[in-house]
Parts: sequence; structure tokens; C-alpha cells
Amino acid sequence: MSAALRLVPPMSADPAATTELRHDVRRFLADQRGRGAYRPRVDCWLSAWDEDFTRALAARGWLGMTVPQEYGGHGRSFLERFVVTEELLAGGAPVAAHWIADRQIVPSLLTYGTEQQKQRYLPGIARGEVFFGIGMSEPDSGSDLASVHSSAVRADGGWQLNGSKIWTSGAHLAHAFIALVRTSPVDPAHRHDGLSQFLVDLDSPGIRIRPIVSMSGSHHFNEVFFTDVFVPDEQVFGTIGAGWTQVTSELSFERSGPERFLSTFPLLAQLTRRHDGADLGRLVGRVAGLHQMSAAVAGALERHEPADVPAAVVKLLGTATEGDIAEVAALLTGDEEPPDPVWRELVDTGLDQRPGFTLRGGTSEILRGMIARGLGLR
Amino acid sequence: MTTFPGVDSDLSGVMQAVFAKHAAAGEQDASVFDGALWEELTGLGLARLTGSEDSGGSGAGWLEAAELLSAAAASGVRAPLAEHDLLACSLLEAAGLPVDDRLRTLAEVDVDGLALAVAWARCAQRLVLVWPAGGGWLVADVDPSGTTEIVPGTNVIGEPRDGVSVDLGAVQGTPIEGSLVEQHRRKGAVARAVQVCAALDRALALSCEHATTRHQFGRPLSRFQAVQHLIADMAAECALARAATEAALAAAMRTDWAGDEVLFRIAVARSCAGHAATTVVRNAHQVHGAIGTAIEHDLHRFTRAALAWRAEFGSVDQWDRRLAAIVRDAGSDGLWSLIAD
Repeated sequence: MSAALRLVPPMSADPAATTELRHDVRRFLADQRGRGAYRPRVDCWLSAWDEDFTRALAARGWLGMTVPQEYGGHGRSFLERFVVTEELLAGGAPVAAHWIADRQIVPSLLTYGTEQQKQRYLPGIARGEVFFGIGMSEPDSGSDLASVHSSAVRADGGWQLNGSKIWTSGAHLAHAFIALVRTSPVDPAHRHDGLSQFLVDLDSPGIRIRPIVSMSGSHHFNEVFFTDVFVPDEQVFGTIGAGWTQVTSELSFERSGPERFLSTFPLLAQLTRRHDGADLGRLVGRVAGLHQMSAAVAGALERHEPADVPAAVVKLLGTATEGDIAEVAALLTGDEEPPDPVWRELVDTGLDQRPGFTLRGGTSEILRGMIARGLGLR
Repeated sequence: MTTFPGVDSDLSGVMQAVFAKHAAAGEQDASVFDGALWEELTGLGLARLTGSEDSGGSGAGWLEAAELLSAAAASGVRAPLAEHDLLACSLLEAAGLPVDDRLRTLAEVDVDGLALAVAWARCAQRLVLVWPAGGGWLVADVDPSGTTEIVPGTNVIGEPRDGVSVDLGAVQGTPIEGSLVEQHRRKGAVARAVQVCAALDRALALSCEHATTRHQFGRPLSRFQAVQHLIADMAAECALARAATEAALAAAMRTDWAGDEVLFRIAVARSCAGHAATTVVRNAHQVHGAIGTAIEHDLHRFTRAALAWRAEFGSVDQWDRRLAAIVRDAGSDGLWSLIAD
């Protein structure tokens, strides 16, 4: 019989090669906590926006790590970036300001950006001064991303955008996003055709940003409306009509990272002070296994191998585990003990953020479909 | 393609071929030792794959051994591969005692000379005994027909898991380090994790095959989203179990099985593989429908095997609790270092 199906590539890197870098980041975080610069937060990469902290990371060379030096970056490997981001998330550090730009805009710009676009955005991202949002979902296009209605039509020297984007984290604070819009009408036989991406500065005339307050009362999400927004030709991102391919590549970076299993890690770390049952062991085991898988996918991305299916595997399992951590913590928490405000904040944030874990960046149901396709079932 | 990256593909091909041939001969009674298969494995140098060449072994490493265990498990062939080479003969060699081609298994007995569920004991020509004595440990290579009583038992898939009772007063032991005993427990635990992964992968492959060939309501089962999702969840769990098991193997090879790090990685592998079996076995049977529960269908050779093996060298609960204890000792500030360093 043939060898087993292998959806996730084997781990190739020697962990010892990055130990020193890990310890550098860990010392930096301990120092920052010691100064009271931050307190570990659940879901820090979505909700903890701290531009001072972001600039402190940039000063250490931990932003734009994979950006070549000619664009103001540090020419480090994707695996080194993976190690730094894992450490930041495990420490619950406030990294939301630069997260989207550093995670997915950098690799997209490096792959599809023009020389001018790279010069324009990459140095600012690496300095921790230029922040991005994501311009994919729309009010009528959630999981069915190819159904986006926002459109761009030819105008003199550029394109005119109309429509709206939703669930754009940090749009009220970010400088730009990459909008996925239709540049030709839907062809029902080839519905992924006719989509294009544009780099849109969020202070452009004709843009309006409406906050969407989360059920906990916090504000990260927004709806972004465009009315006759002019985007010059030099801000076309990649190739007109190739938006679907480009966005799919961006999603591999978006889905496989450590933020798909470490969103509640600060809660898991505190849980070890209160609990030593078998369910704690199970959760730690899964997080440790996910760390191995996510690192293996980072290796595949570094080698420019297709990683959409392994990224889906990491996200499917990782986001369920993040939610299970919140649940185990919540089941241990009641009114029989005097309230511990630090613990309560971690637990409450975990429960409030949990529904988002298995929705954002591709729902678990969409991911299962992708895995099934990878297995040849559809 | 090999199951474990880095294994020579020709060697892997030889392994797969020998088990495929025996699997094609029909399902064996797992409780009966297949002497003809063993002779063939010995002739191919696979029976003592990792033994030193000086002692008549093939001098291969654990990756090759894991490939061999996987090939047997994926073919549904039962043989004392881990017990003979990776446990009994390995411990004898480590103790500086002579080894030969006679079939062996390892029995860790208590001070009264008793052990429960010793794998393949009744089939072994020699029993490698290890027992605590005077604050240390002793090892001996004995002829089981002499001073040993064997009470036959089996695990759920019928593999011999026999009670062993030895009159230790009549056995001359050689002192060994306690760390060697612990290392061989770890090796047993990893061997079972490797076998579980192989069985789960095969259950996944059979489920994919069934879902694409079986038609209901005028279309293949694989066209139903509910079925796709059952299988996707299986595939994800298989991938997690494999990632964790490969990480444990890599740590074992880096550290030669000694130290706390490899114990943590093994516990992670056993936890992930154990819980993966829950989802994979449940979903594989759900996808197959009633025929998957019949003895005439192949599925149970992999689902029941995975359930049997995940419960050996420690239950899933015991491994989860060990993980929790390791984490408690590390403290909340040390948790991440355990996982990432």
C-alpha cells in the first residue's frame, strides 16, 4: 500500500537554531512587563493596539523582519519572524497595531508589489509607523469571498471605487488597506475571475469609517464605505483580474500563524496556577502539537511551497483549542471564591472573543471544505 | 514516498512489500506468532533493525524503526517488532549482555517477579527481565521455559499481553542504571504512538476511499458536506498526532532518550495521538456506516488497533496527567519554555 496521506509538511528546522532569538524576545517582554508597559492580554493581536510598544519592537528589528534591507527591513528568514511572533503572542504583548501589516501585507507587497509600492510602504511598516487593515469581507460577502460587490471602474489615470468593506480591524487607526473588488462583471462559470486588488489609503476623499462595537463593548472592527474613491494606477496591487489568486496566497500567511492557537495562551499560563487535572494536560499537549505544526507550515511558506491546506489544518484545530482553553478556565470560575480581577478579565475576554476565533480569517466550515478538497473529496 | 522523512525509499519499499504480501494472505490470528513472517523479516535484516552490526543487527536508527512499525501497522500485520528490537535487545545491548536472533520481549517485573500484560511473552524464546532490587535495577536474559510461569492474555485486538511470574531467587541479574529502564519505557511509549499514527492514517485513507466509491441518494458520499466535514476533522487530528509524534522522535534522537525535554515531547505525542484516536475512530466508523463494524471489513484492523495501542505504556488519562504535572512543576512562567525551547 502507498505511504500515508500527508497534509502537513514535516518539521525541518532545528529548534536550537532559534533559541537565542527566542530568549532575546522573552527578556525584552519581561523587561517591558517589569516597567509596567503592558499586562498580558487575551487576543492581544486583535485588540491590544499600542503604537509605543510597536515602535519599541521596531527599534529591536522585530518588525518587517523578512523585508530586504533595501526597503528598510532586516533581511531575516520567515522562520525567524515566526519565532518572534510566537514569543510575542505567548507573552500576550500588545501587537495589534502592526499585526496585519507585518503578517500579510509584507509578504504580499514583496510578491506582488511594484517597486514604487514597496518603497512607499515597506520602510514605514518596518519602522512601526505604517499600519494596515484587511479589505476582504463585505456585508453580503463573508465566507463567500468571491461574491464581493464593491467595484472599481476605469477613470482618468486610475480607478474609481464604490462599495464597502466590513470587519476591518483597526481601520479607524490604520493608514491603508488592500481592497479586493470587482473590476469586471461576474461570469457565473468563472466566478473567481474579474477580481482585483487596490492599495487604498484610508484618508482618501470619499472614505467613511463606521465603528462596529463588539458585544463586550470594545471597538476593533469597522465598516469602511467608499463613495467614488479615486485610486491612481500606481496603486493597483498586482495584476488586474488576478485578485483571487493573490488573495488566496495572502490567506496562507493569514491562517497558519501562531495567532491561530495562542490567542488565549496567557489564560492557559494562568490556568496552570489553578488547575492540574487531565484536561489541562490535554490542552497543553494540543498547544505543543500545534506549535510543531505551525512551525512546519512556516517552513513550507519559507520554501514558497503551497500551504493553503496545511494552513487550514492549523487554523481549524488551533482556533478550537484556543476556545477550549477559555471554556476550561470558565468552568472553573464561579462565585464560590473571592473575585480575582486579573483572572476574571482573562476569562471574560476569552469567552467574549471566542466566537471570533473560529470565524475570522475563514470559518471552520470553510476550512473543512478546503481540507476535504485537499483529500480529493470534492 | 516514505512515512518518515529521511528514510531511504528503497528500504521503505522493502518493508511495505513484505507486509503487503503477508496481509494479502488473509487476516492472521494476532495471538499466534507468525514464524514464517518472522523468518522472512530476520532474513531481510528487519527483525533486529536497530541492533548493532557487531551483535548481528542491521545498525539502523529509530527513524527506520518507526518506518517499519508504521508499515506493519498500516498493513494490519501484527508482529513483535518493537518488543524484540527496540525494547528487549536494545536493553540487553545497553547492559553489555550478549544478543542473538532468538525472539525476545521485555518484561518489567516487580520485586515479587510479577508483571501484567507483557507483550508477546508466550511466543518469546527468551525473556528479558528487569526488576528493582536493593535501590537499583537488575536485568537478566532468561529461558522462559525454566522458572517462568506465563498466564496468557490479550489486548482487544488479540495480541498476546501475558501475565508473567518469575522466581527471581533463581535468576542471576546484572546491575543496570535506572535511567536505562526509564528510557525503555519511553521507547515503548513512542513505539505505540508511531503505531497509532499509522493506524489512524490508514483509517483516514479507507474513509476517503469509501466516501468516494460508495453512492447513496444517487451520488458519492463524498459529495455530502456533512461527510466531507467528518473526514476533514479526521485528517486534521491525524496531522496533529503525526506532528507531535515526529517532534517526540526528533527530541529522542537529539537527547538519546534522556532528560526532561524528551519526556515532555513524548507526553505531548501520547496525548495528541490518544485524543486523535477518539475523533478518527468515531468519524471513520460514522463514514463507513454499518459495514465498517463487520469483521469481514478491513476498517476494524486499524480502528480497534489504534484504540488498543493508545492504551499501552500508559493510558491517555495517565499521559494527560503527566503533562499536567510537568506543567505544574514548570510553573506558569515556565510553560511556554517547555513548549517552544
